[in-house]
Amino acid sequence: MAERDARTRPMPPPIRGGSTREVDLPAQVTTWRPTEAAESESPFMQGLRRLRKSVTALIGLAVVVLLVVVAIFADVLAPYNPIANDQTSTFQRPSWEHPLGTDQLGRDMLSRIIHGTRISLLVGVSSVLLALFVGVPFGLIAGYYGGRIDRGIMRAMDLILAFPIYLLAIILMVIFTPTAGLIGTMKVTGAIAIVRIPIYARLVRGSVLSIKEKEYIEACRALGVRDPSILFRHVLPNCLAPIIVTTTLGVATSIIVEATLSFLGLGTQPPTPSWGWDLKANVAFIQANVWLSLFPGLAIFVTVLGFNLFGDGLRDALDPRLK
Amino acid sequence: MRVYIGKRLLEIVPTVLMITLVVFVMMRSIPGDPVVALLGDAYTEEDAIKVRAEYGLERPILVQYVIWLGKLLQGDWGVSILNGRPVLHDVLLRLPVTFELIALSMAVALAISIPAAIIGAVRRNTWADYTATTIAMVGVSIPEFFIGVLLLLTFSIGMSGALPSSGWVYLPGTCPTIVCAAGLLGNAQHVLMPALALGVGRAALLTRLLRASMLEVIRTEYVTTARAKGLAERPVIFKHALKNALIPTITVMGLQVGFLIGGAIVVETLFAMPGLGTFGIDAIIARDYQQVQGFALVTAIAFVVINLLVDLTYTFLDPRIRYTG
Repeated sequence: MAERDARTRPMPPPIRGGSTREVDLPAQVTTWRPTEAAESESPFMQGLRRLRKSVTALIGLAVVVLLVVVAIFADVLAPYNPIANDQTSTFQRPSWEHPLGTDQLGRDMLSRIIHGTRISLLVGVSSVLLALFVGVPFGLIAGYYGGRIDRGIMRAMDLILAFPIYLLAIILMVIFTPTAGLIGTMKVTGAIAIVRIPIYARLVRGSVLSIKEKEYIEACRALGVRDPSILFRHVLPNCLAPIIVTTTLGVATSIIVEATLSFLGLGTQPPTPSWGWDLKANVAFIQANVWLSLFPGLAIFVTVLGFNLFGDGLRDALDPRLK
Repeated sequence: MRVYIGKRLLEIVPTVLMITLVVFVMMRSIPGDPVVALLGDAYTEEDAIKVRAEYGLERPILVQYVIWLGKLLQGDWGVSILNGRPVLHDVLLRLPVTFELIALSMAVALAISIPAAIIGAVRRNTWADYTATTIAMVGVSIPEFFIGVLLLLTFSIGMSGALPSSGWVYLPGTCPTIVCAAGLLGNAQHVLMPALALGVGRAALLTRLLRASMLEVIRTEYVTTARAKGLAERPVIFKHALKNALIPTITVMGLQVGFLIGGAIVVETLFAMPGLGTFGIDAIIARDYQQVQGFALVTAIAFVVINLLVDLTYTFLDPRIRYTG
């Protein structure tokens, strides 16, 4: 982003000490923006403006918004009941009646994909939120208090991190015993959240370690502000940028993990429509109907791509240092 | 250096113990046990108690773990509850399959990502860079099993079934029984699609990481110095920039091992390969405690050893990094 600006905007020559080398460094050339200097925008607004200029991030955001709309209005948008069998029309190829065809039970694929959006988004977003909800306070406390508390919390986090992520998620799902419907979805959410808690705890702890040494935190303490207030009102807002970025990209990862668990038969159980499960079930019939395994896979791909594009754009906009 | 490796090898022990212990406790905390499945229709309460006693399943979990550990130290990995075969035997049969899959997929990943990242970084903001970064973005967004399905559609369903969609032909010499298919060509045909499915996703991730760190390294003073002293562009990129850019990339690769194990499970399931991944997932779902322990043990050791190898690679890439005891 910075480089693109540097080419289009007029730029005063960088005033720096003797080294000729630095002139060539695009990353260190600060773009001179008269409007910005005059208005002194908040970093958040600057980030938003940078985000608005990134085409890929906007495409990502559009995909995400579209998927959210599809998930919310799935009942209205889906032409058929996603779990209604119709033995008279199995393995139909895409047609006007069934735009994406039907599966081995005669269920309309388009309706299943539309309803599958709910599971994917619900698990993807809520597992990350759940992991944040547990991981962020742990990270805050560990980083802020240090010492024995820090060692205790981080030891527990390392214990989870020591596991290959899928081994833990698979065993957790076997313990929870996968079921259908909302309960089944919540189980998957829980399993994915548990394996992802340490990521946020570590991230936040790292930021807190540097922030807590800042003068304004010292000032808070001197004024007698209570610890919880310092942590949530002064420390947390200052480590939000990396959290937001990791969260967006984390949703993409969680959606892939959910699809993988479903693919292995350990996600939300049928008849609840789930992309991973549909893909797996239809691979068996790949000879009979090529389309069936293609569409759920495409749906997963587009969703993950949307969150990845948006997350990448957010990273560039909110915190250019995070690469 | 030797002291360091020794120390790190010793550190493997507690980690592996911890992983196997947690898996042990978790598997046995699941309601129900494999005895029910083993006895099937012939299930009676008395038989179940007898079988449980036979496998020591009625004892406290921690006692069972200590017994398992004690036998392990004598080289006894236990016997599968469901099929009665020794676990170690099955693990050794399946390990080469998974090892071949992972090694080849890493080779695929490196073969794609290193050139792509170099082109992206050296020709920054040209169409070549945009193409490379776009393909990489698409690549990181496709789950392995969908790449696998696309490959299946192309090479097994299409192209008049050029490649087999499932099964396995062993490498000559690794054939476990007298009656099994072995051969170089057959093996290559069977491993090609799984290795691509697993490798392409890694390649995309590697490309993104490597390109970013190449861009950083290219700006450093020693690269400028190398150019200033008249070195040709090729050695500058390969000897000075690439080697240093690989360091952070390899760190992330080490962290990715957990995902690679999951990827192996998925790809082996999709292509019905007789590897450790399918062994592990089948064992976990059937709750064959002994097999699960064997799988957890191998996975934990692989996980820790690969992370050690990652740390040791640093010394090769950057001679300034020296590990002292």
